[in-house]
Amino acid sequence: MSDGSAYQLQQFIPFSRDVYFRLLERIGESFWPLHVLTLLLGVLVLLLALRHKVRAGSILLAPLWAWVGYAFFIRHYAELNWAGNYIGYAFIAEAVMLLLIALSGKGLAKTAPDNRPAVIVGLILALTGLVGWPFIGLLSGDSWYQAEVFGIFADPTAIATLGLLLIMLRGWLLWLSAIIPLLWLVISSLTWWVLLNS
Amino acid sequence: MNNRLSRRQSLKLLAAAITAGLLPSLPVAAGPAAANPANNGMLQKKFGKAGKALPAIGMGTWRTFNVGSDPKLLDARTQVVKAFFEHGGGLIDSSPMYGSAPDVMGYALQKLGLPDSLFAAEKVWSPAGGSAREQVADLKQRWQLEHFNLMQVHNLTDWREHLAALRQMKADGKIGHIGITTSHGRRHKDLEQIMASEDIDFIQLTYNITHRAVEQRLLPLAQEKGIAVIANRPYDGGSLIKGLQRRNQPLPEWAAEECGSSNWADFLLKFIVSHPAITCAIPATSQVAHMQENMAAGSGVMPSASARQRMQRYIEAL
Ligand SMILES: NC(=O)c1ccc[n+]([C@@H]2O[C@H](COP(=O)([O-])OP(=O)(O)OC[C@H]3O[C@@H](n4cnc5c(N)ncnc54)[C@H](OP(=O)(O)O)[C@@H]3O)[C@@H](O)[C@H]2O)c1
Repeated sequence: MSDGSAYQLQQFIPFSRDVYFRLLERIGESFWPLHVLTLLLGVLVLLLALRHKVRAGSILLAPLWAWVGYAFFIRHYAELNWAGNYIGYAFIAEAVMLLLIALSGKGLAKTAPDNRPAVIVGLILALTGLVGWPFIGLLSGDSWYQAEVFGIFADPTAIATLGLLLIMLRGWLLWLSAIIPLLWLVISSLTWWVLLNS
Repeated sequence: MNNRLSRRQSLKLLAAAITAGLLPSLPVAAGPAAANPANNGMLQKKFGKAGKALPAIGMGTWRTFNVGSDPKLLDARTQVVKAFFEHGGGLIDSSPMYGSAPDVMGYALQKLGLPDSLFAAEKVWSPAGGSAREQVADLKQRWQLEHFNLMQVHNLTDWREHLAALRQMKADGKIGHIGITTSHGRRHKDLEQIMASEDIDFIQLTYNITHRAVEQRLLPLAQEKGIAVIANRPYDGGSLIKGLQRRNQPLPEWAAEECGSSNWADFLLKFIVSHPAITCAIPATSQVAHMQENMAAGSGVMPSASARQRMQRYIEAL
């Protein structure tokens, strides 16, 4: 796709690059030092997933999605984009789904994680979301509170969650619960692409 | 900050990729309406039966004014609005679809005070936003205004219901004028029908030197029916002017004499507002310097009909 198509898609992105960066910075500033807690919770979910404590992992993950839906989307992102409220509700719906999966036990992996491709890809994605993503900010000169951290910002939350789901879930419920994180990542990638190319 | 941003931006991009001529030039005073020293020499264009006039350069707010509640950016945009009015600006166009832009305009107008020349133009859109009446009431609160000079149906959305409601509100003196908008060359046939059959004061459509389809039917019809025309996307969303500037494309040598232009903003905007059917162009900007350039295009020499053709040919040949 060319710069021309970035300008075409611009009609769906109602804010500019600098304003989006400022929004992310302000979200980071206003929630600091909650980042430390959400990141630790994320690491804990990964450890639980790897030790086959998948029900507990799923229960811990759910409130983080509800929190990002409310704090990131409804409270902040929706200021710039009327669709933000709907995306926030979708994140809260994902939280409810994770909770229902945990409570019903359906869709949870029956065997401990081994070295199947899904588990390995899951581990890589989880580490990318939990560790790699904040590092992008830190490498480019952000301070800790500005770095995009799991459980506060939508992108690392969605990436790490996809990985955690690959480790913790099986069958159609795995795919169903991956839809909302995947959709957000598509929207987010397109947003960044348009913002950086127009 | 810029260095950090650009580094960060490139990293983000990487990450995102992984995850997913016959007449001589006319001085302004000989145009459709005279320049007025009280308006910084800004070309005033007449519209409607009552013989009112609007400054030929207005401003848009899409993307550029959607800054949320960020205090730093709110103050920066207030300076842009200040420059707009200092240069004789009038029409400001916004929409409930533009995120926080109506609130940001409310903030700026509170800070600056309400200038006499303000011509506030808003829009109603899909039913998701409530009835036309509810939307207008909500927008008044957001702009912190008592009265909108113009209320438009955004992108022809539910236009029958919305126009009927707006017409009633105009009759009750709640809004000044009514209109309908489109952009990107969409639904021109429908717009033509509405212009022919409905009693509306304004239309808003995309018109710029690279998008001139409206010259065929819509602009002549507007002139015939006495409908004022707002030209949106004068820089084609920014790609036109930024493309020319990025390539360091020089202005043609004759631009100074025939259009009074010494920069691309002036050249592109003068092409638009020198069309006799156009009431005003509404470039959007987030920068004071760009606002100053844009507003300057409303004064000085305006291109003649032949100069306009020369301008077209020059751009087509690039
Ligand atoms: N359906 C509808 O009703 C509809 C649809 C489209 C647009 N509109 C209205 O029309 C307005 C204008 O259209 P638009 O905003 O899409 O596009 P536009 O005005 O053609 O272009 C805006 C872009 O041009 C840049 N720019 C402005 N002045 C400049 C200058 N002097 N030099 C260099 N760059 C300059 C701005 O960037 P900087 O911030 O860097 O200056 C901004 O990115 C909108 O804001 C909106 O109010 C209505």
